[in-house]
Amino acid sequence: MSASIELRGVCKEYLRGAATLPILEGVDMDVPAGAFQALMGPSGSGKSTLLNLIAGLDRPTRGQVTVAGTPIHGLGDGALADFRARHVGIVFQAYNLIPVLTARENVELPLLLGSLPRAERRKRAETALRIVGLEGRYDHLPRQLSGGQEQRVAIARAIVCDPDLVIADEPTGDLDKKSAEEVLLLFRKLNRELGKTIVMVTHDPAAAEAADTVRRLDKGVLQ
Amino acid sequence: MTLFRLALRNALRNKVRLTLAVAGVAVALLAFVTLRTAVGSWDSAAALARRDRLVTRQKMTFIMPLPKRYVADLRATRSASGASLVAEASFASWFGGRDPARPNAFFASYAIEGKSYFDVYDEMHVDLADVRAFEDDRSGAIVGASLARDMGWKRGDRVLLESPIYPSPDRLPFAFTVRGFYESAGRSGDEKLFLFHWERLDAALPTSQRGTIGWIVSRTPAGASTDDVAAAARTIDAMFAERETETLTQDERAFTTGFLGMASAVMDVLSILSFVVLGIQGLVLANAMGMSVRERSREYASLRSMGFSRRWVARLVLTEAALVGALGAVVGAFVAWLAVGRGLAPFFERDLSFFFPVFRVTPGTLALAVGVALVTAIASGVTPAIGTARARLTEAMRRVA
Ligand SMILES: Nc1ncnc2c1ncn2[C@@H]1O[C@H](COP(=O)(O)OP(=O)(O)OP(=O)(O)O)[C@@H](O)[C@H]1O
Ligand SMILES: [Mg+2]
Repeated sequence: MSASIELRGVCKEYLRGAATLPILEGVDMDVPAGAFQALMGPSGSGKSTLLNLIAGLDRPTRGQVTVAGTPIHGLGDGALADFRARHVGIVFQAYNLIPVLTARENVELPLLLGSLPRAERRKRAETALRIVGLEGRYDHLPRQLSGGQEQRVAIARAIVCDPDLVIADEPTGDLDKKSAEEVLLLFRKLNRELGKTIVMVTHDPAAAEAADTVRRLDKGVLQ
Repeated sequence: MTLFRLALRNALRNKVRLTLAVAGVAVALLAFVTLRTAVGSWDSAAALARRDRLVTRQKMTFIMPLPKRYVADLRATRSASGASLVAEASFASWFGGRDPARPNAFFASYAIEGKSYFDVYDEMHVDLADVRAFEDDRSGAIVGASLARDMGWKRGDRVLLESPIYPSPDRLPFAFTVRGFYESAGRSGDEKLFLFHWERLDAALPTSQRGTIGWIVSRTPAGASTDDVAAAARTIDAMFAERETETLTQDERAFTTGFLGMASAVMDVLSILSFVVLGIQGLVLANAMGMSVRERSREYASLRSMGFSRRWVARLVLTEAALVGALGAVVGAFVAWLAVGRGLAPFFERDLSFFFPVFRVTPGTLALAVGVALVTAIASGVTPAIGTARARLTEAMRRVA
């Protein structure tokens, strides 16, 4: 039900013109299954880059990334997409909801990847929305919701397929204090009650406190 | 929620852009249908012309008359095999009649020889009773059904016509009585003739000018080959070559296409143009789709981050393009059907019937238009779809919407 993460000698370089720009330089990282870790560090230190590698959104230049027992650094695009669908729920700072879909439809979206019948998809979407405390907001469009509610819809969408791992990149970055606290509470609930492994990037020390462990990334090196 | 519903919602997202896109497709389709219908109608003018019918006229010009005896001579002529050269022969003279009460109503009026004329033009259907009533009345007239409808003429109505070519002896208009109507299979434009007895015209002329006709029409025997028809035409002209008036005989299709020949190059251009119009519309649509898709690049990236494949996202974009195209095609087909079928067709068939005898929007043309518009619309989505599918996920995520 939950995933361990294992990074070995992970390097990520970007090409800028003729020069290669090293962003991550030999990162080793272990996140045990069922952990809730926060990742902090200055802007530009490579936090998002690292998170993308764990989530299977990108591949490392060198090194090994193993998530839930699957070495994903060598997977092709299709296999990587499959991996994400099966194992990872992602929450972004900007929520990234589809503005023309209602809360329920947004949450239902990832279920299209499976083969559930329509009624079952609907039921699961509603269950996920109940977990994040949004019963009664099923038919609201994103623009009819507050930022905190939008982010909770995004969290419901991230967990609707019941992934082992939830990845969150500054999930409270755009939220006021109260909404941020609600979201963090939710993450703890997901971690404690549903056993999700969570890795969350944040700039906010108060947010980091929600996690069991806080890791720091500086100039491409994990402390 | 399905891919289709999401594509539909995306299509409906920007109402102004959608309206413009649909209007664009509709206008292009209207142009396409109009051009195709014109081209098709044009082709049918030649197709409807009959190969087995011959028109014999004065060699130099259509306006100069032929001696009426030529008709009898032609009827008596045998081919090499001893059979009659032509199965039926008749004649007509151009009258140029006009209703003085309605000088703006233009229609052709011929002086003809009754029944034999209808034998040559066997696609003209006249009730036998009408033919008899016509034969029994020297001032009778047979009128095309469509012309009669336009003019409001009924059986027994008196019609006064004057002709700039044949002034009547008493300086009064010629008086006719409508004795019947004819209908024409296929070419509704042909239901426009006013036909009356040639004797009537002849009697109006000074004695020295009597006994002339405008042109001879004849039909070769059933089963005559193209070569037979051509040979018959040559035989006729050879026969009259040594007589006082030389003739030129052509089959009806050669006559028609000769007349239409020049303009058929124009029709070829129109034919190409009809597709060019849709092509341009496709490019405009591609631009609109590209714009929409670029604005939503983060959403597509977000879908892919959930695990949707590049293919799925490409299909989403293509489906949206197809939906916009389909909407435009349906609206356009309806507008085209209305505008061309209800607005332009009567005008073309009435006033340009020689060139466009049957100006009708066929289901085939509509289906072709809808099909081509759909294919163009889907094609217009290909580049944006590929762009979206190819985008690097992490970069698309970073792009701020
Ligand atoms: N696609 C890319 N091409 C080139 N350089 C990139 C690309 N993505 C990230 N970078 C660079 O990598 C570095 C790390 O970026 P990253 O987004 O991981 O930082 P971060 O720690 O998440 O910063 P922040 O806290 O501001 O979100 C930055 O200098 C950035 O410019
Ligand atoms: Mg970042």
